[in-house]
Amino acid sequence: MAPVPCAICKTSRALIIRPKNHQKLCKWCFITIFEEEIHHTVTSTKLFTPGDRIAIGASGGKDSTVLASVLKTLNERYNYGLDLVLLSIDEGIKGYRDDSLETVKRNAVQYDMPLKIVGYDELYGWTMDQVVEAIGKKGNCTYCGVFRRQALDRGAKMLGIKHVVTGHNADDVAETILMNLLRGDLPRLARSTSIVTGDELSEVRRSKPLKYAYEKEIVLYAHHKKLDYFSTECLYSPEAFRGSARSLIKNLERVRPSAILDVVRSGEDMAKLVPEAVTGISHCKSQKVSLSSVDGEEEGTAGCGTNGRSSGGEMADMEKKLREDEEASSREINVTATTSNEISGQRHDRIGAKTEPRNGAKREPGKKLTRQTLGTCKKCGYMSSQDICKACMLLEGLNKNRPKIEIEVDVEDEESSTLRRRMEGLALAAG
Amino acid sequence: MAGADVAPPNSLCKRCNEENAVQSIRSERVCDKCFSQYVTTKAIKRMETYRVRGSTAKAARKLLFPLSFGPSSASLLHILDQHLQGQYDRMNRAAYELIVLHIDLHLDVADRKDTSELLEKYKSRFPRHTYSSLGLEQALLLDGIDWKALNMPEPPQDISQKSGTERLQQLIGSMPSATSRTDVITTLLTRLLVDIAKRNGCESILFADSTTRLAEKTLTETAKGRGFSLPWQVSDGMSPHGVGFNYPLRDLLKKELVTFSSLAIPPLADFIISHGPSSQISASSKLTTINDLMAQYFESVEENYPSIVANVVRTSSKLQPLTGDETTACGLCGLPVAEGTDGIYGWGGGQNSASRAAKQDGSHEVLCYGCSRSLNG
Repeated sequence: MAPVPCAICKTSRALIIRPKNHQKLCKWCFITIFEEEIHHTVTSTKLFTPGDRIAIGASGGKDSTVLASVLKTLNERYNYGLDLVLLSIDEGIKGYRDDSLETVKRNAVQYDMPLKIVGYDELYGWTMDQVVEAIGKKGNCTYCGVFRRQALDRGAKMLGIKHVVTGHNADDVAETILMNLLRGDLPRLARSTSIVTGDELSEVRRSKPLKYAYEKEIVLYAHHKKLDYFSTECLYSPEAFRGSARSLIKNLERVRPSAILDVVRSGEDMAKLVPEAVTGISHCKSQKVSLSSVDGEEEGTAGCGTNGRSSGGEMADMEKKLREDEEASSREINVTATTSNEISGQRHDRIGAKTEPRNGAKREPGKKLTRQTLGTCKKCGYMSSQDICKACMLLEGLNKNRPKIEIEVDVEDEESSTLRRRMEGLALAAG
Repeated sequence: MAGADVAPPNSLCKRCNEENAVQSIRSERVCDKCFSQYVTTKAIKRMETYRVRGSTAKAARKLLFPLSFGPSSASLLHILDQHLQGQYDRMNRAAYELIVLHIDLHLDVADRKDTSELLEKYKSRFPRHTYSSLGLEQALLLDGIDWKALNMPEPPQDISQKSGTERLQQLIGSMPSATSRTDVITTLLTRLLVDIAKRNGCESILFADSTTRLAEKTLTETAKGRGFSLPWQVSDGMSPHGVGFNYPLRDLLKKELVTFSSLAIPPLADFIISHGPSSQISASSKLTTINDLMAQYFESVEENYPSIVANVVRTSSKLQPLTGDETTACGLCGLPVAEGTDGIYGWGGGQNSASRAAKQDGSHEVLCYGCSRSLNG
């Protein structure tokens, strides 16, 4: 059988079938187009400004390793003028991170980038091993997950860096969109698709330059560029909604390869259709930068599940809660029968009402829309929709039970003094 | 239904306390009669707009009723027929009239004969309504569709000797995948329904989609890149086509409607063409569509988590259509496309235009992302 020539250069032999569109490409054309597409994402969204210091959230896994490699390549090829730093989080679980942190350390040498590893102990005063010791094995995943969501931002703040990039890929984004539909979470549906989270007001912006890159292509790129990454069967078993969404995405990709991208596109479009009352985002303003992720939960890396609830638990819990709400609201209607009738009468009348503008027929009064407003945590200043962010709440609980000697300073002081010490350390290191 | 196995046998209905409880409404055990009553009430509640009002006789409002012969549309017709009978009994007139329409997706003559026989049966069972049946190939005669984009001749210029069904077959066959074929069929079906509704002076189309079906649709359309169209696909109200879309069965699960149709007196079984369970679908088959995957998924979710199914629909129904933007109607589905967002490359994710030659025939045809994806694979 005659070798198939590459669909782009038409000269070399095609060795790769592109997962995204089944195009047959040679190795070099694949690598080039993969990089060029990320360049396109970076430039069309005006992600960076020359002189920016960017922290790459590095776990040693394929996504963040590819992100670091591609950003280094593009930064040199197109003179982005970026100062790239690798930032890793050490949860403080003995034996768990060792291999992946070793990988990140080698990456730092390979890509000639400074590496900063911040531990939970520095950020929160507790390693995960200590948390487990204090609260036992059950339920510690909550702590790890909540702490991890803030860790990159807090770590970046320590380094004086205002922009963190993460390795979230198109599969992650698509999965999140389906998950938020299944969970009925409109505020997150509205937020999760934007490439940048965090507006000018927040101290640390987050972005995902690989947002349109297929996971399978990331693996191919890493393979053909012979990148050094740590591949492991992830211990993390996703919670039921995400797991459900993940297997849907995998099946969709099999049926129609473009489906991952199509879901992302739908998600971007739907974000504009979420009523303002839900998001607090005004559509009059620029769509480019949307409100930040309150706790980053929509991003793909929440919680490891080794001690987590059994799969399906979340769905069963939600089913139960929804049923209770349903029952409660049916009782409510009996009491306020007149009002509810008026509302529904009004609603149905709309269709036939001549005076109503036509698209007014859509609006249904009486539907409860939960609004989220974004503020900052009063303790640590990290963005939060509550007065006190989740991490500080958990810390408060932890610190209460700590032996007296260790809680001479309260959380806030401990935080800021740790921070101060870090900053001093950094200033010295930089000098 | 959940809880069906744990209830003690021969317990009394929770609602009437008279009959034996043999059905479940969510977690409540009820008798057949109360179950049917529940389903009927849920549907009729969504028809409140069409109550008889005032003493002066007004002309009945015309509503198009697409009948697929599935359990949902058969059940809805049964319910509405009784609803209308009730209006006649009380007021001697009805607030609306149904124009029942079956669109035949079969291309085979023998199949079509079966269809018209079944429709005759409906006619004699529910005689007060107007009935008609059309083949999907009638959609090929519609204007307002960019036939050039589909590589089809414009209707009046078509001088080929081919019959409508042959041309339809050719069009569907030219689609790049099973998902695209289903997608184009659905689009043509909707356009044809809208056209018929308008020509018959109908103010709305009553779709018999269950909650489960609407949840399925929410995820299917999302997966096909049609997220932008959801406000018109799952919510009640005016569609951009100028005809209202209503979903009176939106509060009922598929399995509830299947049970309901089996309880109807006289039985509806001979009126229903059921498609088998979708549990046999494999994602690796070339013939499997995105629609199949989602149908299979929600069939399983409905089993144990019915409230989650309903919640998906509640969520997608809150999406509001965009207003104020410059829009052009998509040449295929006819839905409004915002300026500069048409085609598969009109956004941040469509980066590889360099590697794929764009259409360069000079004409600027506007297709929405979803239609564009279906045609381009």
